[in-house]
Amino acid sequence: MGILSITIFLPAAGALLLSVLPGKNARIPRAVALAVTFLTLVLSCVLFASYDRSLGGFQFVDALSWIPAINSSYHVGLDGLSLSLVTLTSLLAVIAVLASRHITSQPKAFFAWLLLLQSCIIGVFSSLDLLLFFIFWELEVVPLYFLISTWGSNRKERSAIKYVLYTLFGSAFMLAGIVALYFTTGTFSLPELYNTDFAMLANGIPLAAMFFLLLAGFAVKLPIFPFHTWLPDTYSDAPTAGSIMLAGALSKMGGYGIARICLGLFPDTAASFSSLFMGLAVVNIIYGGAIALRQKEIKRIIAYSSFSHMGFVLLGIFSLNEIGLTGAALQMVSHGLIIGLLFAGAAILVKRTGTSRIDEMGGLARQMPVLCGLVFVAAIGAMGVPSSSGFVAEVSVYLGAFSASAEAAKIITIISLVGILLAASYMLNMVMKVFFGPVRESFASLPDIGSVEKLYLGVLATGIFTVGLYPQLITTVLKPAIKGLAVLWGG
Amino acid sequence: MPGLEHYLILSGLLFCIGLAGAVIKRSAIVILMCIEIMLTGVNIAMVAFSRFITPVELTGQIFTVFIIVVAAAEIAIGLAIILALYRNRNTIDTQKIDLLKW
Amino acid sequence: MNWMYILPEIIIAASALAIIIADLISRKPVIITTIAIVGIAASLIAACTSTVTFEPVFDGMLFIDGWSRLLKVLLLVVAGSVVIASTDYHARLKHSWAEFHALVLFSLLGMMLMPSAGNLISAFIAIEITSISFFVMVGMLKTPLSSEASLKMMLTGGIAAAVMLYGMAFIFGSTGSTSLAEIALSSQPDFSSGLLLGALLLLAGLLFEAGAVPFHMWLPDAYEGAPTPVTMYLSAGSKLAGIAVIARVFSMGLNNPGGLGADWGMAVAVISALTMTLGNVLALQQSNIKRLLAYSGIVHTGYMLIAVATIGLGGQVSGDEKLFFYMASFALAEIAVFTAVIVITRQIGSDRIEDLAGLARRSPLLFAIMSIGIFSLMGLPLTAGFMAKLFIFTSAVDNGLLWLMIIAVLNTVISAYYYLRIIRVMWLGKPSDGSALSLPKAPGLISIFSALGILLLGIAPYLLLKLAENIIFIP
Repeated sequence: MGILSITIFLPAAGALLLSVLPGKNARIPRAVALAVTFLTLVLSCVLFASYDRSLGGFQFVDALSWIPAINSSYHVGLDGLSLSLVTLTSLLAVIAVLASRHITSQPKAFFAWLLLLQSCIIGVFSSLDLLLFFIFWELEVVPLYFLISTWGSNRKERSAIKYVLYTLFGSAFMLAGIVALYFTTGTFSLPELYNTDFAMLANGIPLAAMFFLLLAGFAVKLPIFPFHTWLPDTYSDAPTAGSIMLAGALSKMGGYGIARICLGLFPDTAASFSSLFMGLAVVNIIYGGAIALRQKEIKRIIAYSSFSHMGFVLLGIFSLNEIGLTGAALQMVSHGLIIGLLFAGAAILVKRTGTSRIDEMGGLARQMPVLCGLVFVAAIGAMGVPSSSGFVAEVSVYLGAFSASAEAAKIITIISLVGILLAASYMLNMVMKVFFGPVRESFASLPDIGSVEKLYLGVLATGIFTVGLYPQLITTVLKPAIKGLAVLWGG
Repeated sequence: MPGLEHYLILSGLLFCIGLAGAVIKRSAIVILMCIEIMLTGVNIAMVAFSRFITPVELTGQIFTVFIIVVAAAEIAIGLAIILALYRNRNTIDTQKIDLLKW
Repeated sequence: MNWMYILPEIIIAASALAIIIADLISRKPVIITTIAIVGIAASLIAACTSTVTFEPVFDGMLFIDGWSRLLKVLLLVVAGSVVIASTDYHARLKHSWAEFHALVLFSLLGMMLMPSAGNLISAFIAIEITSISFFVMVGMLKTPLSSEASLKMMLTGGIAAAVMLYGMAFIFGSTGSTSLAEIALSSQPDFSSGLLLGALLLLAGLLFEAGAVPFHMWLPDAYEGAPTPVTMYLSAGSKLAGIAVIARVFSMGLNNPGGLGADWGMAVAVISALTMTLGNVLALQQSNIKRLLAYSGIVHTGYMLIAVATIGLGGQVSGDEKLFFYMASFALAEIAVFTAVIVITRQIGSDRIEDLAGLARRSPLLFAIMSIGIFSLMGLPLTAGFMAKLFIFTSAVDNGLLWLMIIAVLNTVISAYYYLRIIRVMWLGKPSDGSALSLPKAPGLISIFSALGILLLGIAPYLLLKLAENIIFIP
């Protein structure tokens, strides 16, 4: 039972512990949840630090035989890509717990589901066996369903069901792809699949079919246009912790899946369709940005902004070179930090002012200067201003996309530059409407954020700047993994 | 001399008449009678096959005896159910017995 | 001597007769229940400890092998659960308590004979014993609803029996024998059209018991009108026995992957697709929990028929242990859910889903049991249902049925909608009466054990799979 398995199952154990705790008091579940997530974060940082950068490959591997009949085993391990995402998830989980201090109804259940969700997400990133991957992928639907439908807002039940059905629909196709892959190769194990030469296997199922089947599940998760229609409702109707985990960690599962599975296993298919996906990525960026500009509710602006930024991830992935892939990975980490800050900050704003529409807020910089500053940092990151993590990520993506060997890559990249313009527009619009502008009387007595909020928002802001100014922190870990992927297309 | 095909045509006719009746008719007792007609068709087919194909082993005849016995038991139960239904609903018209719908 | 081979069945028959006699002597319900449980337990021991591996009995009429042994044990467990769960239903059945238990045992007898059938005649007799016992059990409540359900089941069953017999007649006519082993010999490789016609008619008739399209119409009405323990028995018992007898008759008698097997295998695959889809579509509109579970059971029959189709197309006996795993996980889920439904509906007095609202607060334990059972039916990972579906899907793809697997997977998604609706109502709904619900000991124990079993098989399916493989495999 290696340290990785402990990291995966510790939150679940915490959830189990929470479910048997007596009493309806909110303080004990909160403390337990905080302790568990903090411990998981410590473990993740230990993993991050002890990853051998010179060795690369999958480390911390745990393998146990599980269902020999279908050649599936409990096989987990981390390489640079998954390690960064696991660390991100653990950090966001701590933030999510801290941001949920105001939950008073059924706190035990709330934190139990949150912890279970964290286990599932870390499990997805760590799985080296496709069946295990799928199981963790499916499992995360349950805690999220309960989280959204019980503690959400607006039309929470409807959004929750929508999310579940969309995800299950995508993962249904993914399962078909996984089973087809198993039928062709006889194994579920990712390392084995990487070493299999598909051209040598006689099979009745074309590679492109399997590629798209597998992609379907990831396309719904990232999301890729046009499978994104669940996003605005779910992101904005979920409780704060739910939105943070959804936008910050779960959407990365989509990007990770595309990179690890679709690209890693079917490099040639990916190369032949790369123009298509780069085009879709641009649609993500521009369409998402344009809609964000027109939104009046703060959470929906952030939701569409997230959708738009996932387009960068897709663009970077399908540029199929080292810079692009590094950019995509950086964008995933950076975006996690940024969106965490944005959603947490938005939650505070909505709660304090009693409204979620930005045209009903205004001048809040006077009452809440610290919050304003911190949210502004996130906005900087979202806009891709130099010195923020968003900048390094987006620049790498652009460089990679521009030098991609796909046809029309250059044109696509130039078009997607419009995304920067749009991001600047909607972010500045939001910040101006919320924090600046005429001061309203009704907000005169609003207090600024407390010390706990300053702490976790500050951590995120620091992260944004740290990665922006010192990206080597992450890229040294990413490098071996990305190199391994990029080799598939000749660097 | 009637050959196998004659018997089979007869049994086929009986079976189809019974099936049509069982599907179309409204009275529960008549439906039971139609099921009996279907079973008679089956019996004739069984015996005919046995007579013409395996005259030594009498397998078909034995099967027919079993079918008759089971059919009798089924009818007994069926009539009891119809009686119970009649006591409750005062009708055996299957169109009128429609408490359970989609 | 041959009698020892069917010792489990003899014990059950003796217990049934003992119940009828005991009822003449004493009217205490405890005695009846005790005799039933003792009989089932004794038979279970006999079935588990039997050392028979592969034996034709009574000149080929019955065929005792691993497959029939496994199913006997499963059906005994199901029957035991029904008897225990019905102790909670006493108030509504007390006027015919002994008859009910005797019929449970008689139909169990029929169900135990069904997968052991070695001859068309014995298959027919076994099916009829089971069906007729069920006709009576469904109508036992003597309410208008119950009698109507019983009538519909009986009429449909009678027609199905006649169709099945006609098919058997044709098979007999084409091959000159009713023994499954001898039919197998004459069905390869080229076969007459009479045999094909007979096989299809036989299949159609057998689908009644299993509850698949086109003979599924009786299921929802029977499930809704019958006393709930009988519904549980129908769903976890007769459905499984029906599918088992299809698997037995067709894999033993008519199996020829290149020729006949491909034909009926494809027919079963199409029926499976229709069954899954139709069941799901109709389930979406239901507001009565028993009726919804009936339609969900129809969908699961469709899944199990996928495995039967692979037996026909691939001809591999190894498909059998995956089918058995699915049956076992389905039985566990049904036991968990139905026992909980029996306990809940007795206390809230209604079968409607809306009245389940707020169950999570009224009885967390019942909510957990129901949720685990429903998650297993839905096929969520970590439950036995997911593993069962996975096995069936992999064997479907192995036999060239990728299209069927995609349909099955899509149906799983559709079914998620109504399963989640139940859970949502239980978790979020506001109960009209907030009092806590109690869980009586005996039904509570079996439902807790089933739920634990579901989780255990979901995490370590290999336990059961390997066991089944060892027993079914003929060295």
